[in-house]
Amino acid sequence: MAAVQGGMVDAKDEADIKTEPASDGFGNNHANDSRLLSESPGSSAAAGNSKPAAGAPEDQQTLLAVLQFLRKNKLSESAEILRREAGLPEEVLDPKGADSAGSGLGGSADVDGGDASALLSRVTVPAPGGAKAPTKAGEDQPDVNVVLSAYSQQGDPALYQVYYNGLKKFIESVLDCHRAELSQVFYPLFVHMYLELVYNNHESEAKAFFERFSGDQECYYEDDLRILSGLTKKEHMRGNETLLDFRTSKFVLRISRDSYQLLKRHLQERQNNQIWNIIQEHLYIDIFDGMPRSKSQIDAMSGSLAGEAKREANKAKVYYGLLKEPEIELPLDDEDEEAENEEGKPKKKKPKKDSAGSKSKKQDPNAPSQTRIPLPELKDSDKLDKIMYMKESTKRIRLGPDNLPSICFYTFLNAYQGLTAVDVTDDSSLIAGGFADSTVRVWSVTPKKLRKVKTAADLNLIDKESDDVLERIMDDKTASESKCLYGHTGPVYGISFSPDRNYLLSSSEDGSVRLWSLLTFTCLVGYKGHNYPVWDTQFSPYGYYFVSGGHDRVARLWATDHHQPLRIFAGHLADVTCSRFHPNANYVATGSSDRAIRLWDVLTGNCVRILTGHKGPVHALAFSPNGKFLASGATDGRVLLWDIGHGLMVGELKGHTDTIYSLRFSRDGEILASGSMDNTVRLWDATKAFDDLETDDFTAATGHIHLQDNSQELLLGTYMTKSTPVIHLHFTRRNLLLAAGAYNP
Amino acid sequence: MRLQVPPGGATLQVMIQILKDMGVTEYEPRVINQMLEFTYRYVTTIIEDAKIYATHAKKSSVDADDIKLAIQCRMDQSFTSPPPRDFLLEVARQKNQTPLPLIKPYTGPRLPPDRYCLTAPNYRLKSIQKKVSSSAGRITVPRLSVSAVSSRPATPTLGTPSVQSVSSKVGTPVSLTGQRFTVQIPPPSQTASTKTTTASTPAVSNVLINPSLIGSKNILITTNMVSQNAGGDSLKRKHEEDDDYDAL
Repeated sequence: MAAVQGGMVDAKDEADIKTEPASDGFGNNHANDSRLLSESPGSSAAAGNSKPAAGAPEDQQTLLAVLQFLRKNKLSESAEILRREAGLPEEVLDPKGADSAGSGLGGSADVDGGDASALLSRVTVPAPGGAKAPTKAGEDQPDVNVVLSAYSQQGDPALYQVYYNGLKKFIESVLDCHRAELSQVFYPLFVHMYLELVYNNHESEAKAFFERFSGDQECYYEDDLRILSGLTKKEHMRGNETLLDFRTSKFVLRISRDSYQLLKRHLQERQNNQIWNIIQEHLYIDIFDGMPRSKSQIDAMSGSLAGEAKREANKAKVYYGLLKEPEIELPLDDEDEEAENEEGKPKKKKPKKDSAGSKSKKQDPNAPSQTRIPLPELKDSDKLDKIMYMKESTKRIRLGPDNLPSICFYTFLNAYQGLTAVDVTDDSSLIAGGFADSTVRVWSVTPKKLRKVKTAADLNLIDKESDDVLERIMDDKTASESKCLYGHTGPVYGISFSPDRNYLLSSSEDGSVRLWSLLTFTCLVGYKGHNYPVWDTQFSPYGYYFVSGGHDRVARLWATDHHQPLRIFAGHLADVTCSRFHPNANYVATGSSDRAIRLWDVLTGNCVRILTGHKGPVHALAFSPNGKFLASGATDGRVLLWDIGHGLMVGELKGHTDTIYSLRFSRDGEILASGSMDNTVRLWDATKAFDDLETDDFTAATGHIHLQDNSQELLLGTYMTKSTPVIHLHFTRRNLLLAAGAYNP
Repeated sequence: MRLQVPPGGATLQVMIQILKDMGVTEYEPRVINQMLEFTYRYVTTIIEDAKIYATHAKKSSVDADDIKLAIQCRMDQSFTSPPPRDFLLEVARQKNQTPLPLIKPYTGPRLPPDRYCLTAPNYRLKSIQKKVSSSAGRITVPRLSVSAVSSRPATPTLGTPSVQSVSSKVGTPVSLTGQRFTVQIPPPSQTASTKTTTASTPAVSNVLINPSLIGSKNILITTNMVSQNAGGDSLKRKHEEDDDYDAL
């Protein structure tokens, strides 16, 4: 009895009271004790955790539940004693009653049923102690709550339709300004009630309920509803992790205080407050003080599988500034004829390299410190690369609405719809394609051919001191336009070059991420961790780290020299379809099939931002070069722009008619290019989109975003391809836009 | 989702209807055939399993419980789903507590320890000491054959080959692709004291075989005290039967 799991003192007292009467000469005392203990601390703990407002009624319900349980098991004497001791009236035990007394009956019936194993498995999963994911509801014992909510029947299944209809009528009758907000309740309520019915094996009622009310839901939930329509039995739910998570996590709604009061008053004044119970159990209502939001504002932010984001979820400070670039002296023999009067002088600032507005002298307050996360030091070859980069950037074309980039399209012919991933190196010298036949092919974009390094014997023969040793180690006999890399056993869904062009990463449906050497064109390492298809992978901007996201709903951070991940970013409700590093390598953004985007801190692994608003799985993410903004594209054809610092949506670009698979900002951040399955590349004016934004604390607190409907003005150009969906975009260092896709007649 | 199943079965129509109900509107015509094949295979597997369970329970006919059990067992086996969210959160919490490891400078290519890499040679060549003296007119150079690596511990075999090493260099055999084969000859007498991991103190001897023997390829012979998995007996050298993986 001492080992009550997380129960309150009341729970202990209740347990004491119950076991003493039970020990009056009953055979199965101990069985009783254990069952009582497991049920009562669980229920009272869950009750104590879930709703802060209702203390006494929850205990009451717990007692009733236990009472029902005793009666079910024909322990009438102990039931009688309990009833007397607890002072419960006789008539409350009507199973058809309006409170959760019925829950005990239903609960015990199910416990005795074949699901004891499920119960055990749920309860014995270790409940996380202190730390919880900062996003989802703070239930200390999600497992026990699951049990309770799983087995508690909030009233008669046949009356669910009545309850829902009643709520519907009420909401239709409120004032206009509140109606939009309160309508948010419909969808999560509908889904939870439906799942409740299915889980409790009321198949016919569930079907009837679905048919009647599914048509009322918002259009952007159509895909979810279709999946639900196929789910009519409890067994169907078992394999669907997304739905199970949906059931156990709380759907977040943001409602203004006035609307909330209205709703609460209405639901509590009626006798059957079933809906109130369900709302309390399954919904998390984030209340803000202020004006109610309009329908368009709500529509812009909703759509995610878990509702919107709580205010606290987006409160953490995010260091979105860029890291200071190390100072590199320009070489003396710089043949660049530009006005580089700093040549050869040490300790001079570099010429304009990055006009991101970060002050080069003092520390940007929004930038992380250089040592916040360990980063690899610069090797000599890296320094040479940087010098090349700086030279190229001086020749960069400034883009703008009147100076659009030229677009060079690389079409993959004869791919037979097997092209699944493309990447281009930063200096645009190599292009790699991942295919559905599990091969990875690397091509050279420049006339220079791809060569492998010589074998060990030959390497011993060359002169190591010569200046062009890097050329001599290459074996010219192996020169070819493209090289094919074999190794994966499933379609390759993600590809990423390392910044130093030595390595290539590929992630595949076989669950592994492979590191290939581009010197020997062989596979070096296979990183196994996801046991399910890995949809995307990317090297960090400084190399060494890489992130991968897959079907197991987590994204993992790896380092090339560790065979196990360093960080696991768990929190999404559905697969992670896209994962990208922030330019300062301190944050990772992941887009998911649950239609939300999360920003994770690499240092701690915490989710620091949740961005909702897309109405379909997110497939493309792009950070602006200055690190302040994020652009995302999804299957709904919209590109959304987010201010990372505040965690707010700042723009919406409508225009594409099909899934957007690629997004890229130009090198200085003036133009955003988007490529989509509708065979077009569109260019948008990013400087104008991010101009004079009014994001302040008020908008952050209430979510009152004011999106201008200026997609047409921001659209600078639409370029159509010949039936070739665009799956990759890349701006060269001089701001030429490269695009890639497979011809699909 | 209402499905009017025609009495004869008409599975094609059923499949088309299912695809429509699940919202799949664009698909190639062969998709239906593939779906039907899958359905057929899945259903027959389940029913066969259910029959086995029914006979095990000594029932005369298969009933719904058997089918349910068959489905459950198959699902755990073939259609596994990712771990549940609370488990993932717990694992993530633990993993995210450890600080990020510091990066050592000047370490060359940063790769995991060799046993986690795929850089080891994935084959071994064994030499076949055929009866050299048996047939007259045969070249007395030992024939070399290629065999795959197996991790079975085996005793080191035969005696010394007649070709001796020309020079011994110490260096790691880098298994680069190309026209080079790495042939390993068991070194003369080995003691079981060395417990080496890959690429530590290999004794490499390079022998060039008469090219005319083997065509135009050069063969590089190395001997190696390497064991593929570090553990136990060092000499997991070859090898097995002479007759598998025969000649070049």
